Amino acid sequence: MMAAALGPPEVIAQLENAAKVLMAPPSMVSNEQRQHAEHIFLSRKSKSPFAVCKHILETSKVDYVLVQAATAIMEAVVREILLEKGSIESLRTFLLTYVLQRPNLQKYVREQILLAVAVIVKRGSLDKSIDCKSIFHEVSQLISSGNPTVQTLACSLLTALLSEFSSSSKTSNIRQSMEFHGNSKRVFQEEDLRQIFVLTLEVLQAFSRRENLSAQMSSVFQRYLSLANQVSWNFLPPNLDRHYIAMFESSQNVLLRPTESWREALLDSRVLELFFTAHRKIRDSDMAPDSLQCLTQLASLHGPVFPEAAQVDYPAHFIEGLLSTIHGIEIEDSEAVGIASIISNLLTVFPRNVLTAIPSELSSSFVNCLTHLTCSFGRSAALEEVLGKDDMVYMEAYDKLLESWLTLVQDDKHFHKGFFTQHAVQVFNSYIQCHLAAPGGTRNLTAKGVTSREEEEISELQEDDRDQFSDQLASVGMLGRIAAEHCIPLLTSLLEERVTRLHGQLQRHQQQLLASPGSSTIASKILDELHGDIHRLILVTGFLLAVDTRGATLLTPPEIMEYSMKHSSEVDSNTTLQILGSPGEKASPTPGYNRTDSVSRLLSAVLRVSEVESQAVRADLTDLLSPQMGKDIVWFLKHWAKTYLLVDEKLCDQISLPFRTAFGADTEGSQWIIGCLLQKVISSLSVWSSEQDLASDTVQLLVTLVERRERANLVIQCENWWNLAKQFATRSPPLNFLSSPGQRTLMKALVLGGFAQMDTETKQQYWPEVLQLSQQRFLGVINQENFQQMCQQEEVKQETTATLEAPCGIAEATQLDNVAILFFLMDFLTNCVGLMEVYKNNPETVNLIIEFVEVAHKQIRYLGESKAMNLYEACLNLLQEYSKNNWGRQRVDVTAEEEQYQDLLIMELLTPGQAACRSVSAADVVLYGVNLILPLMSQDLLKFPTLCNQYYKLITFICEIFPEKIPQLPEDLFKSPMCSLELGMTSMSSEVCQLCLESLTPLAEQRAKAQDTDSPLLLATRHFLKLDFDMLVLQKHNTEMISREAFYTLVCLHQAQYSELVETLLSSQQDPVIYQRLADAFNKLTASSTPPTLVRKQKMAFIKNLGEFMANVGGLLCVK
Amino acid sequence: MADEIDFTTGDAGASSTYPMQCSALRKNGFVVLKGRPCKIVEMSTSKTGKHGHAKVTLVGMEIFGQKYEDICPSTHNMDVPNIKRNDYQLICIQDGYLSLLTETGEVREDLKLPEGELGKEIEGKYNAGEDVQVSVMCAMSEEYAVAIKPCK
Repeated sequence: MMAAALGPPEVIAQLENAAKVLMAPPSMVSNEQRQHAEHIFLSRKSKSPFAVCKHILETSKVDYVLVQAATAIMEAVVREILLEKGSIESLRTFLLTYVLQRPNLQKYVREQILLAVAVIVKRGSLDKSIDCKSIFHEVSQLISSGNPTVQTLACSLLTALLSEFSSSSKTSNIRQSMEFHGNSKRVFQEEDLRQIFVLTLEVLQAFSRRENLSAQMSSVFQRYLSLANQVSWNFLPPNLDRHYIAMFESSQNVLLRPTESWREALLDSRVLELFFTAHRKIRDSDMAPDSLQCLTQLASLHGPVFPEAAQVDYPAHFIEGLLSTIHGIEIEDSEAVGIASIISNLLTVFPRNVLTAIPSELSSSFVNCLTHLTCSFGRSAALEEVLGKDDMVYMEAYDKLLESWLTLVQDDKHFHKGFFTQHAVQVFNSYIQCHLAAPGGTRNLTAKGVTSREEEEISELQEDDRDQFSDQLASVGMLGRIAAEHCIPLLTSLLEERVTRLHGQLQRHQQQLLASPGSSTIASKILDELHGDIHRLILVTGFLLAVDTRGATLLTPPEIMEYSMKHSSEVDSNTTLQILGSPGEKASPTPGYNRTDSVSRLLSAVLRVSEVESQAVRADLTDLLSPQMGKDIVWFLKHWAKTYLLVDEKLCDQISLPFRTAFGADTEGSQWIIGCLLQKVISSLSVWSSEQDLASDTVQLLVTLVERRERANLVIQCENWWNLAKQFATRSPPLNFLSSPGQRTLMKALVLGGFAQMDTETKQQYWPEVLQLSQQRFLGVINQENFQQMCQQEEVKQETTATLEAPCGIAEATQLDNVAILFFLMDFLTNCVGLMEVYKNNPETVNLIIEFVEVAHKQIRYLGESKAMNLYEACLNLLQEYSKNNWGRQRVDVTAEEEQYQDLLIMELLTPGQAACRSVSAADVVLYGVNLILPLMSQDLLKFPTLCNQYYKLITFICEIFPEKIPQLPEDLFKSPMCSLELGMTSMSSEVCQLCLESLTPLAEQRAKAQDTDSPLLLATRHFLKLDFDMLVLQKHNTEMISREAFYTLVCLHQAQYSELVETLLSSQQDPVIYQRLADAFNKLTASSTPPTLVRKQKMAFIKNLGEFMANVGGLLCVK
Repeated sequence: MADEIDFTTGDAGASSTYPMQCSALRKNGFVVLKGRPCKIVEMSTSKTGKHGHAKVTLVGMEIFGQKYEDICPSTHNMDVPNIKRNDYQLICIQDGYLSLLTETGEVREDLKLPEGELGKEIEGKYNAGEDVQVSVMCAMSEEYAVAIKPCK
């Protein structure tokens, strides 16, 4: 087709040869030949190729050429706007007949031609030159033919139509505005989509009535089933902005919300019946996911399709169908997620009162079925976990069902209290059972016998169970609270039994070791199983008792409180306290042990685990212990302490008597427990410094103990606390082994502890011992006479580094009420400047100093003016020193990683937020700093996301707060942020783009105030207007984020430039109608603000008009 | 590795390495692997089984050299090389060696011009007549040029 001089046969011959070359294996043809062949196909875009293409389709036998011909037709139809009405229709008929007459076409050739038909139809709908009705008439005739091949073809055509008319991402590029795409979708979903659905149903009905399906038949069946699936297509609400459409269509969980006109088609009871029957028929084939997907969508049916009255019939009917489908069958692996999704959708979409309105027998068998499924999926999920399967289908299904339970049991409006208790018990029991080792549980039992994953390597990236399964555990915990009467005693007895066994095992090992040192035969399997059981039991206990995800404030969960209160009359407080107070002993021999408060008893079971662990540590059996279990214990204690220990009584509606006696204010119980927890922290830190997660959990427990003053008051009465403080200050082992975040957090805890109530004398003793000791050491080191010489010695370096960790922790503990005491940090800060010089070649130390300064300067909001200025001065000195040492430095690593440039994050210092504005000289402080930092940044460095974000934050900050300073910058320095802004708007992340756009307003306003005519800022803002115009009007970016204010200010500044941009845009429009619409829209946009000035009223009018402008013509300008 | 430490010979002030608990090592820090001072380029922990104790995997890179890997329990003590860095002014380049002026005014000529990018950079700046300072890193009595910057 490229050369008009060639006759059709020659053209075909040429194309066929080219196709042969293209499709040939690489060894057969040279590169040049291939390129030449490609060129032939690429250059075929002549005007009106219809006749030639028709001819090719009719004569050529080469598939590739056929596909190209179909594509050429499709593209030409799109390209040539003004086709005669008749010709477009005849083209469609030609293609359809063509395919019908050639049943043996290759599949991809056929699909391509049908795609061309679909595009023609959509294109035809633009000027109404094609009537969709006639097409559906033809299709239904094809379907009723009963010939599978023809039916397949009809299905392909329907599928092609569906994707052409569906979301913008699926459609072919037909160079029409988004407005057109949106409109045609809306029209399509009202009429044609339903037509397709009805046709599909007919086919499916016919097939499902048959007894046996041949292979060919079932493949047709599958195609229609997956077609029915696509009906889930998001029903597009009217009047949506383009970006909302995109957002809407990309949402994951599609709920079916058709319009009212679908009522008849969807609410017909035969529809549900059909899909359930279909699923029953094919559930063991690979079509099952399709039929389940259809049902899942139908389960989410909601919206105007329901008449007010009939909303109950549909779900009742659905549940009936579901129950009879599941009844008595063994659920396949591939069905689990589908069934769970169906149930989850039903419970999400239908209001709870609908569920209570269906016949009670039905609803109770539904809940029974849900319970049964949950337990069974839970068992399979636990197996998947043990086997370490990659594809955890049951886990997913289980999660979905547990989530549904959560919504159900929290609704006490529609269900009477206790309605779900028995079900909760069942689900809870089954969870516990399948996470305990045999014989008590089934954790390691598979069809093939006992398995274990003892030998498996687990990397640090693997999440802890408490995080990985947090949703699951939260749901199980919630169910446990619902059925507290059953679950709390169950957990207690299980834990008590396991810990006794663990104790026995450890004792046996110890005796063996004593008898014959070094020859112990460790039955690690038993220990491993016990650790595993205790691990899971503590997690469940923690989630049940203390981790309530519902509220923001930390309170004892109300169900637990009620439970404890209900039984408080039967409780003997003394026995409760006695058992709590002796975690070294078994609970059962204590007289009256069954008259204890059950919740306290459960706590004491965990305390006993903790005590057994500590005993083992003392007996030097740490090697036998599980760090995982250690982590669980401190994690539990932390959450428990937060929600039970000395809680704020003002926040609680009521507190049960046992709780108040055991953990309330001014009780021996709480004093004892604090001591016990502190002891635990010390014991744990003494041996687990090499287990970082465990150490950091432990230090977190310590912070929890002191972060509330009521608890801190008791903590500082313990001698252990003082020992810990001294030990840390003298940096003796094992605390000096802690990781640096660990050390910092520990310091934070010690500082917080210092604000507990103590008499003056104690206070005078505390601060020197805790804080000033480290300060003294620090000063001692750096004030040595020969520091300059010794500073590079390793011990000195280590000492400095270690001392720098401490102030970081102190700074983290700063609050409004203690800032006065902690301000001595300034001394550290001032000294750091000197250190920066000394250690300029030690990036580790430099980074640490910067980190400290960063933490310290965040405290600026607590400081008075003069102190704040002190802090700034120190920061700037530091910055200056840093810049001096690093200017022009090139680093050796070509494979640099972001963290190596951590020091450049020093920029953060310069964006201090509001605090900076209150003093006159703050602007100069910042600009001075910018002068120091900007030269250190390079375009390569902007490739690091954190650096990049920080850098742009800094720029935006300067533009917003000190726009008047910008034009005063020397030329070089001025260019740099301007280039950065442009780069940020055009080629950075949307977050950065947003920041840049925000800086435009103040810049433009600043420019407007100035009178000079050719300042660099004027040129810069003119350029920004163009960028902004492109983004906003041509919608190259999300319009929501564009600062309309900035745009207006720029328009005011550069009116001539703006008119020019509008003119250019208008003159590029060919369609007179669109031209007029655009021109009108632009006129209206500026109507209330001509000439535009920076008066507020005008500005607001413009911004309002801009919104209308976007809604009106935004879709026209964006073409796909 | 801890077994190999000889406590009798090294004297405290000048020892070229010091011990550190493995878990306290940091990425981008230094460690002795297979007897060579290395920069830690990768560090990860793992455990065997859910209830196992932490083990640390270290991957270290000799400065301009080979890669080494080691796995050890996180309680283990590792040798960490003492690292010193000095900036010297570059005087000239001869036969692939750098002539450097120390702070005390002495001239050192025992350092090789490094290979690769940095070496080319140094040579380029030197040939262009720019005054540059070379940062030299010393670990376990071996020295390497690691960075350059213009003289102040």
